[in-house]
Amino acid sequence: MQDKMRIMVVDDEMIVRESFYHWFNKYGHDVETAASGDEALEKLEKRQFDLLFVDIKMPGMDGLELLDHVKSQYPETFVVIITAYGSIESAVTAMKSGASDYLLKPFKPDHINLVMEKIFQQKALKAEYQYLKSQVGEMTRFENIIGQSPAMTRVFDMIPEVAESDSTILLMGETGTGKELVAKAIHAKSNRANYPFIAINCGAMPESLLENELFGHIKGAFTGADKNRQGFLEIVSGGTLFLDEIGEISMRMQVDLLRVLEEKKIKRIGSNQTIDVDFRLICATSRNLDELISAGTFREDFYYRINVIQIPIPPLRERKEDIPLLIEHFLAKYSRETTKHTDRVDGEAEKILKAYDWPGNVRELENAIERAVVLSKSRTLTGRDFSFLKAPPPPESKGRSLLEMERHHIKAILEECGWNVSQAARVLGINRSTLHKKINRYELHKKEG
Amino acid sequence: MKNRKKHAVGLLAMGRVPEMALKIVSAHIYGYLNLSTCCLPALALPQECLDKKRLQYDAARIIQYLEGQSFPGCSKIIGLVEGDLFLPIFTHVFGEAQQGGTHAVISLARLQYRENGCRSPDSEFYERTAKVALHELGHLFNLFHCDDSQCLMHFSGTIETLDAIALNYCPYCRSFFTDACRRKELISLIK
Repeated sequence: MQDKMRIMVVDDEMIVRESFYHWFNKYGHDVETAASGDEALEKLEKRQFDLLFVDIKMPGMDGLELLDHVKSQYPETFVVIITAYGSIESAVTAMKSGASDYLLKPFKPDHINLVMEKIFQQKALKAEYQYLKSQVGEMTRFENIIGQSPAMTRVFDMIPEVAESDSTILLMGETGTGKELVAKAIHAKSNRANYPFIAINCGAMPESLLENELFGHIKGAFTGADKNRQGFLEIVSGGTLFLDEIGEISMRMQVDLLRVLEEKKIKRIGSNQTIDVDFRLICATSRNLDELISAGTFREDFYYRINVIQIPIPPLRERKEDIPLLIEHFLAKYSRETTKHTDRVDGEAEKILKAYDWPGNVRELENAIERAVVLSKSRTLTGRDFSFLKAPPPPESKGRSLLEMERHHIKAILEECGWNVSQAARVLGINRSTLHKKINRYELHKKEG
Repeated sequence: MKNRKKHAVGLLAMGRVPEMALKIVSAHIYGYLNLSTCCLPALALPQECLDKKRLQYDAARIIQYLEGQSFPGCSKIIGLVEGDLFLPIFTHVFGEAQQGGTHAVISLARLQYRENGCRSPDSEFYERTAKVALHELGHLFNLFHCDDSQCLMHFSGTIETLDAIALNYCPYCRSFFTDACRRKELISLIK
């Protein structure tokens, strides 16, 4: 049984629109009509169509112009060109522009069925292609972490390697880079996958609460302790404990945790009885622990204990090539959740999203797309939908030399142009060889990820 | 109030239509669908529906014309037209019906000939007429075109494909038809 399609007939003659409308109704297709190219584009912006029948001769935007718009903005939509004034030239132009077929009015009733059959086949092939593409897309993901940049590929490569061992891991990365996702992926790939994974944000808890959460207590240990309670160090038995924002814990907690890591034993608060524990520890921080050690707020011995294997998670601004993939992922997610049909961003919006610095990293990008999808009234997110993203402040020039400022500016433009030297030279208003000399002089290097 | 006898389908000759064609269509509608029919007084083909360039009658405009007429006592109307029918986008159509509506027309003009232009024997002509009438009646009961190439609701645009279709609905379309009749309580109008 053939699928029902969403079809739009675009023709300035009402009688033709009506004929098509009634005809496709007899197949149970969902049919809409438009009297002009502009009306058709308005309708396309509101909902998705599988197939358009477009007349060439229309006042205003003609059919071939509309075909160009549709193929550039909605490439998944098939277009069949119809005309009463056929010529080889217009047929060739239409087919070159991506039309699926070209029909001369009036056509034999059987002919339209052949065209529809062909479109069904093409649609099925396209769906299969999309499926296969999504399968390839899965390869660019790792346990829900999205990215194909060299920096993320290195992280993906490390996950299965470190998962096999039981060593403590320290994940270093800014807030919102996905440290917990990496920790979960390591847990999922490890021998402990069938045991609990417990994540605790150390920065969100005062010391006493964190201690109670980790170690548990016995009845009467303190006011309000009316019964024995297991801590997460016990509950996680056999699994993985993820301590986020480890740089925020107190010196005393560091000592306690260090002892647990060395002895693999704990005592509940208020108890003298030791309990054996078995867990793998993954810590994460967005702070520079070396600086904390120098400042005397982080113990060096604890640092070496948790920093057996270090995995740096790159900030989003250093892997901007992943932004289109992430946009696609979050658009699909929020279109599904909000039941809106927003499924694309236009060139201007993509440019804004790529140019933005993303201090909040992937989490901030996700929130930005969610907000834009919720507030958008059309299928396509435009630059205006992201106007709330503030441009990063210009670098502080106070106390910096002219050379430093020049170095910073050249670096910024090179990154903006994706290290396309010719393009960057044009933006900077200097020639390529001058730019190459300055790149060497300032020792600028393209980041690998 | 006078209790007028109500029929499911009214059959109407438009132009010079053989009486036998009406009788055959009537017998098939009753035989296949158990629906009562009646033959309505013939009408002349409305000349305003003739496209003088194409020398064909506009099927949609004839249906519009029928909508303006009164056929008391009939739930559905099928007009049998002597002339050749077209829709603006098509070179010709064998018939046209309002999807889920009341009026349909079928043209006998092309049904009398084979693809090679030779005149068909009467038996072939009447069988084709019955097939097209049953197909358009299906649309009046909101049946869609069917993918089953043997089903009466399968679309055929040529005599060759029309002849290849069996004179019956597929089980799916038949069951849909029966349900539609039941919903419209036409089963009680059996002769």
